[in-house]
Amino acid sequence: MVCDTELTGLNKRKDEIISIGAVRIVNLQIQLDQTFHRYIRPANINPNEATLIHRITPEELKKADSVQDVLPEFIEFCDNSLIVGHFVGLDMHFLNKTSRQVLGGTLSNPGIDTMRLARRFKDSGKTDHYGHHDHASSYTLDALAKEFNLPVFKPHDALEDALQTAYLFLYLLKKFKVGGINSLKELYRAGRIRA
Amino acid sequence: MAADAHSLAPEVVVEFFANIMPFKELDHETLHGMARHVKVDFFPKGTRLFHAHETEISHLLFIQQGGVKSFIIDDEGEVTLKDYRGEGDYIGALSIIRGTKASLDVETVEDTFCFLLPKAVFLDLINTQPGFSQYYLKSFSEKFVGTAYAELRRHKMTRRGDENLYLFSMQVGDIVKQPLRKTSADSTIQQAAQEMAKHRVASLLIHQPGLPDEIIGIITDRDLSCKVLAPGLDYNEPVRCIMSSPVATVLSQSTCFDALLKMMSSSIHHLAVERRGKIIGIITSHDITLIQGISPYSLFKEVGKQQTIVGLYPLSKKIPEMIRNLIKEGAKPGNISRMISILNDHILERLLTLLEEEMGPPPVPYCWLLMGSEGRREQTFKTDQDNAIIYADPKNEQQGRDAEEYFTCFARKAIDHLVECGYPLCPGDIMAVNPKWCQPLSVWRGYFADWVASPDPQEILNATIFFDFRAGFGKAALADELRQQLNELTERQELYLLHLANQCLAGRTPLSFFRNFIVEKNGEHKNKLDIKHQGLTPFVNFARILALRNGVRETNTLARLHVLTQEKILDESLWAKAVDAYEMQMQLRIIHQLNQIEADIQPDNYIAPDELSELEKRMLRDAFEVIDRLHGVLKTMFPTP
Repeated sequence: MVCDTELTGLNKRKDEIISIGAVRIVNLQIQLDQTFHRYIRPANINPNEATLIHRITPEELKKADSVQDVLPEFIEFCDNSLIVGHFVGLDMHFLNKTSRQVLGGTLSNPGIDTMRLARRFKDSGKTDHYGHHDHASSYTLDALAKEFNLPVFKPHDALEDALQTAYLFLYLLKKFKVGGINSLKELYRAGRIRA
Repeated sequence: MAADAHSLAPEVVVEFFANIMPFKELDHETLHGMARHVKVDFFPKGTRLFHAHETEISHLLFIQQGGVKSFIIDDEGEVTLKDYRGEGDYIGALSIIRGTKASLDVETVEDTFCFLLPKAVFLDLINTQPGFSQYYLKSFSEKFVGTAYAELRRHKMTRRGDENLYLFSMQVGDIVKQPLRKTSADSTIQQAAQEMAKHRVASLLIHQPGLPDEIIGIITDRDLSCKVLAPGLDYNEPVRCIMSSPVATVLSQSTCFDALLKMMSSSIHHLAVERRGKIIGIITSHDITLIQGISPYSLFKEVGKQQTIVGLYPLSKKIPEMIRNLIKEGAKPGNISRMISILNDHILERLLTLLEEEMGPPPVPYCWLLMGSEGRREQTFKTDQDNAIIYADPKNEQQGRDAEEYFTCFARKAIDHLVECGYPLCPGDIMAVNPKWCQPLSVWRGYFADWVASPDPQEILNATIFFDFRAGFGKAALADELRQQLNELTERQELYLLHLANQCLAGRTPLSFFRNFIVEKNGEHKNKLDIKHQGLTPFVNFARILALRNGVRETNTLARLHVLTQEKILDESLWAKAVDAYEMQMQLRIIHQLNQIEADIQPDNYIAPDELSELEKRMLRDAFEVIDRLHGVLKTMFPTP
């Protein structure tokens, strides 16, 4: 399951999740009939820059469901999947924080970070044929999508970002397969998030 | 609300399908409904998506980004490219509709993202959406002719009224009708003849005495008349005295087309058919003619039978028609140019033979040289004359005058006849009719030595035309002598080769080619790409320079590259890429010229980039990258300070 969250800001204590997007991968194929996309009404509606980036208006957020409604649905969608995300540690922090508040526990799903996978991939030298691999290159989702020449999605929309991440994940996975990573365990080692 | 959130099709998929036929015709609801069932998959470059006749197709594949090629691998492992597909194109529809396995081999040529539409959803659309099935059937008839031929080739279905197809669909092994007839090399000629009479066969294989499986030769009824009856040979001589040895063979799984090429290029009428290392029978040109009707071979034979030069005119004009058929049947560009060369050579041979008969024998032996693309056997439809005469050095002044007089007249008549046959005059006047290019061997030796010794731009231009010469007709030994001299000259002349290399590099096309097309700026061919000079010539030049440097006698570009690779001068992987790139461009060029001929336009080499698909453009860009690599090799070989 590949997911992405949009936040009101990056302050780990104060900020909140305002949208969750997710898509499921089965048999190494993205299942477009199994997507999840919800807005969440935050406790503090403060129309700051972050919400503007996400192109979600405060009015939309006011109409959205509460986190008490959305989170259980999301956890149900997660089921016992491996959670994949780009810099997913951040998403997991907010999901777990919210989960503790709403449900009194945290998600036990293992996580894989596509940013770490991308770094491993690039370090393995498999990108030589791009010719422009330099170590100062950026690891943002947009930059990686461009570098690997992936189809590009609208940034800063949770579902589209989740899809973009899913494309990146699929790309890295299959490229790694050529490069020697064969089992889920090996992959997990390459991209797991720090406990 | 919650259910909706789960089942909404992502915008990107809807947008994709809303832009391609026939999905753009679907109503909003149907489009969203079907888009929900779509999956996404990623296939790294070089992934085999379908294996012909093996892969069960569960999804229709739409290329979101990337590209694939489809091809056929025949029983001998020979690969024939059928098609390239790029963004927005689909794969697998035909097989799904017909409920068959994949009909072609398909492989990604770059990293490719696909949308997968499940078979059931697609079939449902076919059954419920008016226009849907019609769209696919129509595009099959237009786009998938190649696939149909491929199937035909596999299943050897009969198709009345289109008999040329047999040339590609039938395997040699299938037309061997007679059981194998053979006799020991120790048998007498009379015993062999009795054997042939008994079985009513026109040829007999000859085996090693006591080893019936070891075939060492063949006799034909022609051998009996020419080698026995005519000279009055004793019938009790062993048959080994008159047999031809070794026997030319062809693999049983070769197509009749391959066998035909072999027969035509070697002027052999009987080929022994080999299956798993064993000879299983004989096929003759007659066997192929029988299954074939009007064919390259019957044209070839008709040319050979002509008793007047005028009779050759209409025959040579049939060549484009013949070639068109070959292309439609899916022949590879390399084979097509070989076939064109064989037919052109044959017409030239017949024409000059008849002309000699008309004028009487020449005072000294001569060789009719073919240059440029003819010399390289790389002709397409447009075949300017590039020829010359080299004759043996006269023994005295009188003979010199006789020779000059004879060949001047001979050349003038030959060139006129060739024009009537449909080969236009060479705009650069490089023809035997030009006194400069109708000279004795010693003069030609002088020319070559001068060109190599003092390279100036004009001489280098000469080199690119003249150095690809080959013997077209007459005494080939004269041409061989010249080739020998040229190789000796150039192998030593690093400086000269450096000049050639520099000229080749100067004509270099930048890689940004497709971003801002290198096209003609003005005039008749404004905004078009000259595929010959920009795309193919660099390969030709590269192969020539390396061939000259390494004493390779071949003149054909692919053959030169092949020899260079075998001798480890050229890297194996670069060779493979170069062949792909070169053939792909040849194909574009031949198809372009075919279309022009069909539209009654004089064929040229100018391709409009707009008319290429996105994928073709990309393939072309890849080809230009190969040119870059070849130039890199040249630079390493000839470093400039």
